[in-house]
Amino acid sequence: MMKSRGKNVGKFFHTILKWLIGIICISPMYVAIIYSLKSKQELAVNRFALPEVLYWENFSQGIVQSNFFNALKNSFITTSLATIILTVICSMASYIIARKNNSKFYNSVYFIFVAAMIIPFQSILTPLYINLLRWGLVNSLIGFVLAKSGFQVAFTVLIITGFVKSIPRELEEAANIDGAGLYRTYWQIIFPLMKPVIFTSVVLNALNIWNDFQISVTILQKQSVRTLPLTQYFFFGENNSELGLAFAVFVLSMIPVLTLYLSLQKYIISGITSGAVKG
Amino acid sequence: MPRHRDCYGVIMKKKSIVEFSFLFPALALFILFVLYPFIEGIPISFTNWDGLSDNVKYVGFRNYVRMFSDRHFVNATSNTLIFMVIEVVFSNLLGLFFALLIAKPSRSNNIIRTMIFTPFCLSLLLSAYVWKYIYSDFFYGVLGIPSPLGDKKWVMAGLANIAVWRDAGYCMVVYIAAIQGISKEYYEVGDIEGCNIIQRFRYITLPMIGPAITANVTLLLSWGMKVFDYPMAATSGGPGRSSETVAMLIYGNLFTYFKAGYGQAIAIVFTISIFLLSFIVSYNLRKREVEL
Repeated sequence: MMKSRGKNVGKFFHTILKWLIGIICISPMYVAIIYSLKSKQELAVNRFALPEVLYWENFSQGIVQSNFFNALKNSFITTSLATIILTVICSMASYIIARKNNSKFYNSVYFIFVAAMIIPFQSILTPLYINLLRWGLVNSLIGFVLAKSGFQVAFTVLIITGFVKSIPRELEEAANIDGAGLYRTYWQIIFPLMKPVIFTSVVLNALNIWNDFQISVTILQKQSVRTLPLTQYFFFGENNSELGLAFAVFVLSMIPVLTLYLSLQKYIISGITSGAVKG
Repeated sequence: MPRHRDCYGVIMKKKSIVEFSFLFPALALFILFVLYPFIEGIPISFTNWDGLSDNVKYVGFRNYVRMFSDRHFVNATSNTLIFMVIEVVFSNLLGLFFALLIAKPSRSNNIIRTMIFTPFCLSLLLSAYVWKYIYSDFFYGVLGIPSPLGDKKWVMAGLANIAVWRDAGYCMVVYIAAIQGISKEYYEVGDIEGCNIIQRFRYITLPMIGPAITANVTLLLSWGMKVFDYPMAATSGGPGRSSETVAMLIYGNLFTYFKAGYGQAIAIVFTISIFLLSFIVSYNLRKREVEL
């Protein structure tokens, strides 16, 4: 009797504690949302309570002043383009690397990719910037897409290769006997089987590219080509006193990522865990 | 017969070209935008180049010698190391603690896992801005604790705390997967032997999640060393230069201080250090995995 009561009390605290931790973890989001909904006057007197009047003007003004839709468009174009490029070229590369695992050449390429995961962007920053300048790719969305994709190749190949190794070879051998070429075998048989890992790599890459600041701040300097994180960076620098406005822009740019996360959570989690176990 | 062999040779050659065409686009992109600039960077690091002019002179190892007596470099290195240590230790400890709390699959635990992991999806920039106001308005405004971001001594800890908030959820997800992978039989044996909760953790859970610890520590170590976005957004390296990190210093040497050659030398030392550090740490952790 005593023991079971002790157990219940323990369970009660356990429940309280875990919910409390969850709430603390997302509470900064509460700050962002209520700041974005308060007028300047209300923010001056009341910071953390719920807003008395919902001040939607922050959003309408923020959208206009930050040129929000242009940034959204740039983010959308770069993220989708880079994700598509990475998915197509890295899935193909991973397939051949996994299948040619007795070839010295393919193994060394794989090893270079693994090592390159550690390279900090700063070690290529200066030469890359100079090259892009020479090639006319600074302040160009294509330049950012190519550089960012190049930087994500190693990581993407790494997650996909592990998965391809688990696909049995018998299927392809049957197709080979039927006389199908390597391309047809790949796109008709292997690629459809790779769906789960493709989903994972798409989601992880999309999140990473969408949130990128380091590479974009180097390459995209003109206002017309700024992505959302860059817009936040410059807009916040200029609107330090207009908190409501700045936070409205933050909240707006959070929405796409959070939607992606909440709808495709399964793939993010499985991607992280499979990647980590191998790493 | 020889004709036949020729034919075979042609087919094999064609086959290997087709195979290589699978690798080529990814390899080309990687070489063009990562490997080639990386190699180009090596000669730049031996020059006094300012990043703009055609006036370039080789200075030998002078850049490499100079950085070790440059107080800005020493300062940036120590800031980066402080950040990295706090980030690695606390993200992992909290992540493991959260994982132990909610590892059992259930509806409510799934919801809590979603909540704890949410910050990881936000950009580092956004996290930095939101926390800047939590420090100044909540910590100072409500609790009376001054914002760490305004204090030279505490600024790196304040920034690292933002990273921990964002990355503890990541560690947690990896630890949950590792804990769920432990066979129930171990715990049953533990129960028969009369293990208490601490012994269960020490002798069953901890040894079994060794690979997850190695993976998390190594990865967060490299994230921590490369820290750039948080100080750029929350403090711009201030107060003074007390939150300038190595990554920021390299960026500044190209775009602000016009010392591209010197910056590149720092970048190369930086890369080598991250390689060595990751290698030593993961090697030692792997060795311990067996002993535990």
